[in-house]
Amino acid sequence: MTIGGIPLAGFLTAMLAAGLVAAAPLVLAALGEAVGERSGLLNLGIEGMMLSGAFFGFTAAYLTGSAVWGVLAGIAAGSLLGTLFAVLTVSLRVDQVLVGLAITIFGAGLTAFLYRDVFGGQNPSLSLDTSRIAIPGLSQIPIIGDAMFNQSLLFYIAFALVPVFAFVLARTRFGLQVRAVGAYPFAADAAGVNVTRIRYQAALIAGAMAGVAGAFLSVADLKIFQIGMTVGTGFIALALTMVGGWNPYRILLAAILFGLLRSLGNGLQIIGVNVRTEFITMLPYIGIMVALALLAGKTSLPAALGVPYARGRR
Amino acid sequence: MTRALSPSRFAPLLTSLAAIAAALVLGGIFLALRGKDPLAAYGVLVSRGLGTSYGITETLIRMAPLLIVSAGLLVSLRSGVWNIGIDGQLLVGALLAGVAGAAIAGQVPNPVMWLIAALAGMAGGLLWALVPGILRVRWGLNEIITTLMMNYVALNVTSWLVKGPVKDPDVVPPQTRLISREMRLPDVAGTGVHVGLLVGLVVVVLVTILFRHTVIGFMLDVVGRNRQAAIHAGMPVNRLTLVALLASGAMAGLAGANDILGVKGLFQGNWNPGYGFAAFALVYLARLNSLWLIPFAYFLSFLVIGGEMMARPLGIPTYFVEMLEGLMLLCFAVAAWVERMRSPYARAEEVETGPANAGEPPGPLISEPLLEPVARVAGGPS
Amino acid sequence: MAQALGQPNSPVVEMRDITKRFGPVLANDRVSLDLWPGEIHAVLGENGAGKTTLMNVLAGMYQPDSGTIRIAGEPVRLDSPAAALRRGIGAVYQHFTLVPNLSILENVALGAEGGFVLDLAPAEAKVASMLADFGLDVSPRTEIRHLALGQRQRVEIIKVLLRGGRVLLLDEPTSVLTPGEVQSLLDLLRRLRDQGVAVVLITHKLGEALAVSDRVTILRAGRNAGDLGPDVMSGADRESVRARIIAQMFGSSPAAETDDSSMDHLPSVIPTPPRVIPTKEESRRPSRRRPEEPRFLADARHDRGAPAAARDEPTSETLLSLRNISTLGDRGAPALHDLSLDLLRGEVFGIAGVDGNGQKELGEVIAGQRPVTSGRVLLEGADITNRGVAAATRLGIGYVTDDRLHEGSVAESSVADNVALKSIGRKPFSNGFWLNRRAMEQQARRLIAEFDVKTPGPHTPIGMLSGGNIQKLLLARELALEPKVLVCNKPTTGLDLRTTQFVIRSLREQANAGNVVVLIASELDELIEISDRIGVMYSGQLVAVMPRAEADPETLGHLMLGGARRPRKASA
Repeated sequence: MTIGGIPLAGFLTAMLAAGLVAAAPLVLAALGEAVGERSGLLNLGIEGMMLSGAFFGFTAAYLTGSAVWGVLAGIAAGSLLGTLFAVLTVSLRVDQVLVGLAITIFGAGLTAFLYRDVFGGQNPSLSLDTSRIAIPGLSQIPIIGDAMFNQSLLFYIAFALVPVFAFVLARTRFGLQVRAVGAYPFAADAAGVNVTRIRYQAALIAGAMAGVAGAFLSVADLKIFQIGMTVGTGFIALALTMVGGWNPYRILLAAILFGLLRSLGNGLQIIGVNVRTEFITMLPYIGIMVALALLAGKTSLPAALGVPYARGRR
Repeated sequence: MTRALSPSRFAPLLTSLAAIAAALVLGGIFLALRGKDPLAAYGVLVSRGLGTSYGITETLIRMAPLLIVSAGLLVSLRSGVWNIGIDGQLLVGALLAGVAGAAIAGQVPNPVMWLIAALAGMAGGLLWALVPGILRVRWGLNEIITTLMMNYVALNVTSWLVKGPVKDPDVVPPQTRLISREMRLPDVAGTGVHVGLLVGLVVVVLVTILFRHTVIGFMLDVVGRNRQAAIHAGMPVNRLTLVALLASGAMAGLAGANDILGVKGLFQGNWNPGYGFAAFALVYLARLNSLWLIPFAYFLSFLVIGGEMMARPLGIPTYFVEMLEGLMLLCFAVAAWVERMRSPYARAEEVETGPANAGEPPGPLISEPLLEPVARVAGGPS
Repeated sequence: MAQALGQPNSPVVEMRDITKRFGPVLANDRVSLDLWPGEIHAVLGENGAGKTTLMNVLAGMYQPDSGTIRIAGEPVRLDSPAAALRRGIGAVYQHFTLVPNLSILENVALGAEGGFVLDLAPAEAKVASMLADFGLDVSPRTEIRHLALGQRQRVEIIKVLLRGGRVLLLDEPTSVLTPGEVQSLLDLLRRLRDQGVAVVLITHKLGEALAVSDRVTILRAGRNAGDLGPDVMSGADRESVRARIIAQMFGSSPAAETDDSSMDHLPSVIPTPPRVIPTKEESRRPSRRRPEEPRFLADARHDRGAPAAARDEPTSETLLSLRNISTLGDRGAPALHDLSLDLLRGEVFGIAGVDGNGQKELGEVIAGQRPVTSGRVLLEGADITNRGVAAATRLGIGYVTDDRLHEGSVAESSVADNVALKSIGRKPFSNGFWLNRRAMEQQARRLIAEFDVKTPGPHTPIGMLSGGNIQKLLLARELALEPKVLVCNKPTTGLDLRTTQFVIRSLREQANAGNVVVLIASELDELIEISDRIGVMYSGQLVAVMPRAEADPETLGHLMLGGARRPRKASA
């Protein structure tokens, strides 16, 4: 059976693979954002942090020839901006939206500037050995095998982090403190939790994860850097975090749905189905708004999201 | 204006200027680290951007859309509404303006065509703001995420429209029909700057009048500064919120129409000038004061144009200016903190204390108390 | 004597000369407090007497500006709630410090030391047995939001005890409880006392304090105003103890006027003599006056050398009528219950009550700011129920809120803007579209002059003004609208004497002109002085309405604290 001249099984595999690869950075960024938002930090800088992760990850990988160094550089870049976010919003109590947008603008400008400056007019691509790692047995499963179990290491890590984050949030002291700080910082403070420290840590995690997500794009997936290459992935991750109700598993689900819808658009175009791609690509965004509207009033935001905390102050 | 000149009136301006200065210094250090001479760079920036008629002309042309979008953003931010969907609203507005303009160009007198195209642009932007507006007012859904998402929907919708239904069938690339050069906005006499700049200035003046001299502007300010006081005073808070968002969207649409009618003549797929971020920097630096938008818009436009002109001779990528914008906002955040620490309100705030107030029960998803009123954050004019 | 009662002979906590200032407000002024193990110690005082601040200092929430705290004789610095908890001091706040979307167990574990991975199993058994012990039939895994308020309170107490708390601070613990729950809470506190816990009961409900306390400390205006030790508290003469406490909390013969001879009656067991310092206000007031003469009149005469505003008798014509009003508070809990009231032309109707008994909500209902869930509001016979603020303002209802900074005014806006805030859509401030800035400025200048407001000018942001001047402006703003009904919520809080007099006189004149003034106040002397009738609110109802002649601070205080109605009270 073929579809548009392509074997159906191959088509489905390609679609699924593309969808999951699109979902992976979203998952990474959204997991970090979930920790941040759970602690009360709305990080609109996520887009800039991702771009920085992508750029510095790419550059480090390019210079060292090592994907590992690339990813580490991505983490470092994201963490730095995450810390900056925490300094400005937690310690100086400047508005989170303002700081977030500032970081996004800065990150976009910085990476674009450096990319042009460092690489000139060239657009080099990485020649790394980030070849796919086929998991014996599983990768042989028809259709889904090649899509799910023949991917880069970072791809596996992204999805493996979902239960890790779920565990950290639900079952660790840190996770408990994060949840308390975001829901009711005064209660956490009264119980002896250091609200400032927890929020710094959460911001650091959010930044680091956004950085990895960026590095995934440039180092693991595309092997190139493009100016503004995240095209809103960070903001989408932020929205998916809310749609997923700050629950890592539901975030995973939302991210995969989003990724699949996106790959569906491309897939349909490839096989020449007469549906405008744009209709399909915009579906996920509309889906996010519809989901939020449906969820409004049903799910609770971390009550202190966006609100700075100072002891004995409103 | 009747307001007395008090010594503190220009103090907010100092915060912005300090932020700009700090950003320029940081940017200079950055250049030095990359092995460039920052003084030479800023020298070229100034000499070309300010010292050549080309630089000045381009700066003024660039200023027009920036003035219009930032005036719109200012309306929403002063009313406590985060419209982060400027870019999407602008795109939809530009597309509708391009379509409407091209459809009637030559069949009606040019001014009528301009007017209709401008109205179409405003309608487009307004429509795009209406969705988040309704979601906010009816369902209490905070506009930050929804306006952001609408940006991407706008990218796709306009891209689809321009490839299909409204595509100029006579050419290959996805774009609307061209409005020929002679039918576009004329230049201001004796300059190379099209009259869009005047439109921008008029819009800024209108917004200034709105806030200084009209009841609705007065109420928008109150809602933005203290929602509870607005409720206490019996103002229609929800309606005002919607009005602010819609007005802001309409102005973004108008800015899109301006670029179509004044510069481009047609809407191309994948065209996305991304004024939104610059507008944010601009509105904060102007401390939410509409008249101050004018010098700051000139300054930012000058940076952009000067940056472009500096790129070739010095090998400094134009993106340096975008980075500077980000740095300015970051420095502004710090400067605003310094200002807050020194303001009498910081002390007044301390009085109203007590753990009883320190936490709220969880609210519905993304509801209103999510964030501090913007006007408070940005410390707008009195 | 303390030893005779079977207690260790040293206090577990000694607070000495604690001073805490918030901006211009002196919340605690050299307050001292000793806590003894195995005792229930009530800290009594009106709203704003400094009880909660004192508690927050001890709980590590606030740092005192000066003063010392010793625990078991050792000086300590409690710079965070964590530090206080480590010293065995735990607080149960009025607004609970439980995270609603976490389970009981998680709330208890929050802040406790331990490894990275949260192992709740060992604590679970302990919490479960405590829950059972405290009469809570819920699983430790239940999320807090599913618990009733009374249950949450017990969880708070369990939380403190499991963290090793030996000193338990409770801020107004009964304010959220039903009468039955109150009884069982008090039983629980007795049990904890018997186990050697030092229990601090911060309250303004006298009955409860009398029922369980071994020791009482009374605060007034941020200072110690009296201490009663175990010998007095366990004495037979409850009525005299009650009278003495009421006098020290509210009475027109405040502690400031107790001289040394009255100290003879106080028990010797109290470690330090109570600090009897006249409050700032009182020391400024000429206090040599005949006791039956209302303080305000006396002051006014003294200051002005002329009689204060004359009092015209109210008519019997109803202007505003509330019929069976019920409404909800901000948190969705019932705030007013089936309240009815007729307000007569020419009267000042005073409302007494302890904060949170529905006075604010009543004011907001009249002003149209809070919708009623049932009942009707009639103005001159016309139904204006739930018409909203704008309509109410137009119809002649004014409202001066007690939250002058966050609700009554826009701090960043100019005096002129704030003066026009409520009637901006009307002449003279606008024609409905265009503002008339000149009229706004003129009006501001007029009011500034007329009400003697200290401000650099009409263009100064109102937030830069002092509280008293803001208050004058808010009152002026309402009066300028010539309201038929004016509701004022605590208009004189934090004002100096002259301003207070001015406000009072303005309100009196407003009523004398044939209008209605509803005055919500906590200063009982002031309330009695100005009102024609006084109603007392308790738990969302008017529990008593009496003519001025029948009102005195002791009677009102008794009713405000939930005391039984006196037989002769007038019906609402």
